[in-house]
Amino acid sequence: MTTTQRRSFTEKLGLLRELELFSGLSETDIEAIGHATTMTRCHPGQVIISPDDPPDRIHILKRGKVRVYRVTPDGKQLTLDIYEPGTILGDMRLLGQDRVPEAYADAIDAAVICTVTPDELRRLVERYPIIGVNIITFLSRRLQEAERELEAMAYQRVGQRLARKLIDLAQRFGVDTVRGTLIGARLTQQELAEMIGTTRETLAHTLADFRRRDLLDTENHQVLIRDAERLAEVADAGEES
Amino acid sequence: MIEASSGFPSSPASSIPAVTAAQMAEVDRLAVEDFGIEIQQMMEQAGSHLAELVRAELGGDLRGRRVIVAVGPGNNGGGGLAAARHLANRGASVRVILARPVNRMSEPARHQLAILLEMAVDCCVAIYDVPDEELDRELASADAIVDAIVGYRAAGAPRDGVGWLVDRVASASAPLISLDLPSGIDPDTGEAAGAAVRATATLTLALPKTGLLSETGRGHAGRIHLGDIGLPTALFRRIGVEVNTPFAPGRIVRLEVDG
Repeated sequence: MTTTQRRSFTEKLGLLRELELFSGLSETDIEAIGHATTMTRCHPGQVIISPDDPPDRIHILKRGKVRVYRVTPDGKQLTLDIYEPGTILGDMRLLGQDRVPEAYADAIDAAVICTVTPDELRRLVERYPIIGVNIITFLSRRLQEAERELEAMAYQRVGQRLARKLIDLAQRFGVDTVRGTLIGARLTQQELAEMIGTTRETLAHTLADFRRRDLLDTENHQVLIRDAERLAEVADAGEES
Repeated sequence: MIEASSGFPSSPASSIPAVTAAQMAEVDRLAVEDFGIEIQQMMEQAGSHLAELVRAELGGDLRGRRVIVAVGPGNNGGGGLAAARHLANRGASVRVILARPVNRMSEPARHQLAILLEMAVDCCVAIYDVPDEELDRELASADAIVDAIVGYRAAGAPRDGVGWLVDRVASASAPLISLDLPSGIDPDTGEAAGAAVRATATLTLALPKTGLLSETGRGHAGRIHLGDIGLPTALFRRIGVEVNTPFAPGRIVRLEVDG
């Protein structure tokens, strides 16, 4: 290895060390991985993925931003998404995901990507099980994010419906007390859940969240509205459009 | 100013109740959850009426006219995309400019976009797919611009690609037709927190929004029209708003605003 090659290899090891996928590995392990992976510096506009590529590369975006796009029938580019550092792109079948068909990806600014083939990655996982653990962490986080988004969508509507229902009940059965408005009707969580068309579990989760935010208290199957103004805000909140 | 003879029937704005963004959100929710009227059904009608208003604003014939449709990531943008299809079907040369990448758009809007792509209508994402100079040139030379960037649910000044596109469209001089509200104005007060477009005409949906009829809102909205998206009177009654057949004279009604 020449001095220049050596310097570039050291820099590559530094970049590998910063990758979450390879965290928890010793210096020697990182050096071994350095020989098995390719670190590429991409100039702005450089194509990283094309539909014609053989489907045998996994890229980890280390630095910079990447634009994913498709080419329309009249030959123009249409941007589908912008990826931030930390994203794994390319052939994701090894990681249980398909790549977007007919999509291209190019670097928006000076990007650095780490590339590995599925076979190499499999060998690395066999040799360094911690990489497997890191991949599991990565995928769990991605799954969690997706679940959180779904939950947020569902919850937003349930929260809004619950707030509306409680305001309605307070107007009909509310008794003003020093601590707030007590809804003078005894309701089980099942009954309240049915009123707003959700499950008891989701309702319990939503009530707990409202309690945490000091909007209300629950005791003996009764609801005490502690902050009617903020509850009305929840009832009025819309989704972004 | 000499007003275009649009051919739409007119009604005094004072005869039709105006709603806030919160009330309109409740109307949308009731439509979907209680009445089973799907977003796509409403979007289709919004798009069809919007194309009709563009046709009227351009003197009655869309053939060969260049129309740029500026589209936001939400359902207002979806209405703009439906309009783009109707405009193209009626002979206009259409170019769609999206404010954000495709995967960042709402599901109903992406559905509309997929149809346009199949039709080979020219679609691109601002900032990433079209150079700024080219976009400005296109906006300057268009016969009309459709503003479907931000709807009534927006809060505060538009940000990111959305704010950028609002700014660009606001600086263009071609006749501009806004969907629901001129992008950038507050739906309740009509005030602009940042860049806001000044439309030649606006098609607001179902019921006018309070901000649109305020003095500032009117200054941004141009000729205000109300479009029927098929919502029943019983639905408005549930939110305590009495609506007295505003679309009896036609499905697009020009609102006469005092002052």
